[in-house]
Amino acid sequence: MERFPLKATKMAATYQSVYKKGTSQGNGHGDPSGEDDMVNINTGSQRAADTPTTPTSHGTFQLYEHGTRYSDASATWDAVMFSGLPGEADDIPGIGQYEDFHTIDWQRDIARDRMRHRYIVKKRQDSIWDLIKGAHDAWSGWVCVLLVGICTGVVAGVIDIGASWMTDLKFGICPQAFWFNREQCCWSNDEITFDRENCSEWLTWPQVFGESRDGPGAYIISYLFYIVWALTFAALSASLVRMFAPYACGSGIPEIKTILSGFIIRGYLGKWTLIIKSVGLILSVSSGLSLGKEGPMVHIACCLGNILSYLFPKYGRNEAKKREILSAAAAAGVSVAFGAPIGGVLFSLEEVSYYFPLKTLWRSFFCALIAAFILRSINPFGNEHLVLFYVEYNKPWKFFELIPFVGLGIIGGCIATIFIKANIYWCRYRKYSKLGQYPVMEVLVITLVTAIIAYPNPYTRMNTSQLIYLLFNQCGISNTPLCDYKRNFTDLNTIENAVAGDGVYRAMWLLTLALILKLVMTVFTFGIKVPCGLFIPSLALGAIPGRIVGIGVEQLANKYPKSWLFSGECSSDDDCITPGLYAMVGAAAVLGGVTRMTVSLVVIMFELTGGVRYIVPLMAAAMASKWVGDALGKQGIYDAHIALNGYPFLDSKDEFQHTSLAADVMQPKRNETLSVITQDSMTVDDVETLLKETEHNGYPVVVSKESQYLVGFVLRRDLNLAIANARRTIEGITGQSVVIFAVGGGPTLASPTGPPPLPLARILDLAPITVTDQTPMETVVDMFRKLGLRQTLVTHNGRLLGVITKKDVLRHVKQMDNEDPNSVLFN
Amino acid sequence: MISMKQLILVIPVLVFFSPVSGSYDDKRCKCVCPRPAALNSTIGSDRTLYIGNVPPNKCNCDGIILPRVGELIKGREQEFCPQCECIYENRNTTIIQVVVIIVVWVIMLLVAYMGFLICLDPLINKRAKASYQEHTNEDDEGTLGGPSQQMGARGNVLNRVTHQQDKWKRQVREQRRNIYDRHTMLN
Repeated sequence: MERFPLKATKMAATYQSVYKKGTSQGNGHGDPSGEDDMVNINTGSQRAADTPTTPTSHGTFQLYEHGTRYSDASATWDAVMFSGLPGEADDIPGIGQYEDFHTIDWQRDIARDRMRHRYIVKKRQDSIWDLIKGAHDAWSGWVCVLLVGICTGVVAGVIDIGASWMTDLKFGICPQAFWFNREQCCWSNDEITFDRENCSEWLTWPQVFGESRDGPGAYIISYLFYIVWALTFAALSASLVRMFAPYACGSGIPEIKTILSGFIIRGYLGKWTLIIKSVGLILSVSSGLSLGKEGPMVHIACCLGNILSYLFPKYGRNEAKKREILSAAAAAGVSVAFGAPIGGVLFSLEEVSYYFPLKTLWRSFFCALIAAFILRSINPFGNEHLVLFYVEYNKPWKFFELIPFVGLGIIGGCIATIFIKANIYWCRYRKYSKLGQYPVMEVLVITLVTAIIAYPNPYTRMNTSQLIYLLFNQCGISNTPLCDYKRNFTDLNTIENAVAGDGVYRAMWLLTLALILKLVMTVFTFGIKVPCGLFIPSLALGAIPGRIVGIGVEQLANKYPKSWLFSGECSSDDDCITPGLYAMVGAAAVLGGVTRMTVSLVVIMFELTGGVRYIVPLMAAAMASKWVGDALGKQGIYDAHIALNGYPFLDSKDEFQHTSLAADVMQPKRNETLSVITQDSMTVDDVETLLKETEHNGYPVVVSKESQYLVGFVLRRDLNLAIANARRTIEGITGQSVVIFAVGGGPTLASPTGPPPLPLARILDLAPITVTDQTPMETVVDMFRKLGLRQTLVTHNGRLLGVITKKDVLRHVKQMDNEDPNSVLFN
Repeated sequence: MISMKQLILVIPVLVFFSPVSGSYDDKRCKCVCPRPAALNSTIGSDRTLYIGNVPPNKCNCDGIILPRVGELIKGREQEFCPQCECIYENRNTTIIQVVVIIVVWVIMLLVAYMGFLICLDPLINKRAKASYQEHTNEDDEGTLGGPSQQMGARGNVLNRVTHQQDKWKRQVREQRRNIYDRHTMLN
């Protein structure tokens, strides 16, 4: 399209002249005398035999011939380029917007933006003010992502601080300064030891009520308080979500994926969703449920992107352009969630985004950078890092360790598959059974069960992020039960005799129990009606077996240092196996299996550890887990949820392998008539009757009903708005006014006696994408995917036959895959 | 439930009057070491913390530990010091304070508004039901036609707020229907 640069002001003139060239000879606006070269042919003989559904069975076709129209190719191009692009049509409010649960037309929106851009470039020479406006337009994308980055960083900081405070509120309080969590409360107090992580400033609930710190009474009080707080937080979260913003529940990533692929869900990225999701996220994370804040953080960032894009009409009023900002926002969301800016960009590219040009890549990069910078300066965890579980390794890994790493990948793939299958089963059960009628009750029951089971086990009692940190950490000087090795500390240079002590074995039992509990609880938790993500639980699900395997390998190497496997590389005095690294590889494996991410996952993980040295182990595990996952189950959790909800998402990963033709899929089917609008013979009343009687979202405009010769495509919404607008603004418009879509036809063509005509050429899309009825569906599906179409018109011998919408394509794909085609969510 | 409500109600009031003790610095150097006594035993399981407020470049064994326990480990510093881990950390107490208080207030506001919507709003709405239909129609026109109607400034603002609220409530009702009743989304 860029091959034909045009001055915007000349457009109208060019446009008219072209159209007149085309039409003045052929047809005189409904005058049948001009259609002398109409041909009747019967093409039914060729294909009617093998495919009875082809439109040839309709019988007669009427063809036109307009020699001059095709001769002036470049001029026709110009007309096509600007057709239906309401560059100046912003005076009709709401044009270019979409209804709820509709898909957007990427081509149309991008063309609209290009049009607007040309107009601004043209105007730039006129005055200083226009120059400034042009400059503002040029940098507004960067300013917008800058603002998104700043806001995302701030909101993430608030959520991190709030959640860490509220999590510790379950255990006690800092009476001198209630806003501190335990760590902050004991900031300058060096009396804490590692057995009892309490200092005198921090009061546990038994102490608040005058009990002693230890003993059975204190335990019971703590237990009760833990449960009560957990229930309170969960109840608050669930009822806030239910009351103010039901869209704030869940992780949001399947929906973001669908929205970015070009779907409209009104209110999903709104103000209330933002507020409730942030507050609800703090509450639900603090309630100790088995959920994480990373997925919702992406949703929150996208809400911010959507809200801030309204400051810039370039993005706010153009859904396709807005999605560029949303892609960048998603990157910022992951960037703050994991402290991994590059991982965030890749996540946006690999997992959520649909349309990702290079410009968006750079903006995402910038946005992620700003968000990470802001969060870093807020420093929510006081550890100079953006996540609680940041660890730093510097030990090299040995070559033979690749075997256990791949093994961890396989284990991770299995755990992930179990999780996905069970979770989808449960979510489907919830969707179709009575359980779905008690959303708040369900949250409360799950919280109660989680709290009751989780408290006795120290590894499930603590915050999941802390658990991951503990598992990732290598045993240094600090002395947790996980690091209870019989080490000789008198001579520092030799810590080779790392025989595991009793603490390690007990910890491994507890960790196994924790793994089972987490797996089961996460299956039931992901999908309840509070904000909940699954990155953290799946990281924990992988880190636990990873650590266990790591300790196993370490003990093996310790026991048989002379065996052939270890002798080469573990012969030195240093302890050669780092169990924390195994935990990290395991975590990456499960997360990779659950979400089917590969590149972004590895980058996120190595940004977490701050070392590029472990890329190969992580890659091996992620790849193994993806293979195992793909072999055992087709979809990742997000795709499975998209399928469960029936979101209209055309996955570019799947291939369409059936042999159907466009004619099989298009509407109308046989025996139905196609609703069309003629370009200059229908009255306003006719059009309104058509709008009332049919529910299509758009209507092809044809030269005349008899000829079915295609002119363009007009959207139902635009038609409604334009008629309503015209009735208000143009004098004398009545039901008898003729609706004129032809561009050249102005008031001059109106009959002098009747009411004035209603010119609607502005809202007409003169460049609808068309295919012929024999086009294979593979091609059509590809067009829908790659061009982001909303509908395509089907022609036969140049005559309009029908329409294929995205909905038809999705339903057809579902039907071909033997799924229920009616499950597609669409209006 | 009761205890939480009391706490949330009482605490923010207390905060602004209660003096914060001076022990809450924004910087610290935190060192983890074995107990000095463990130097002689083989299994050093006990750890101690040494926390001090020193510049980052002094956050090490020499700056924090030796001034305190130098006597106990005299002559064996070379053995003791490598077993210690020192981390320099900083934080911003003001940000933490402000954020937590804001979070608590926002939650309280939301809960209060929720209570209002559940308890009082039906009563008010019952009274205003008659004029409700009129409002929506009129304001739908208003959104399309722009600010054309001339009304009293106060009435206009009030109407607009009411209209916005009604619109929002409709949207939320729609969302609730999608999610909780029809289960078409976010399952």
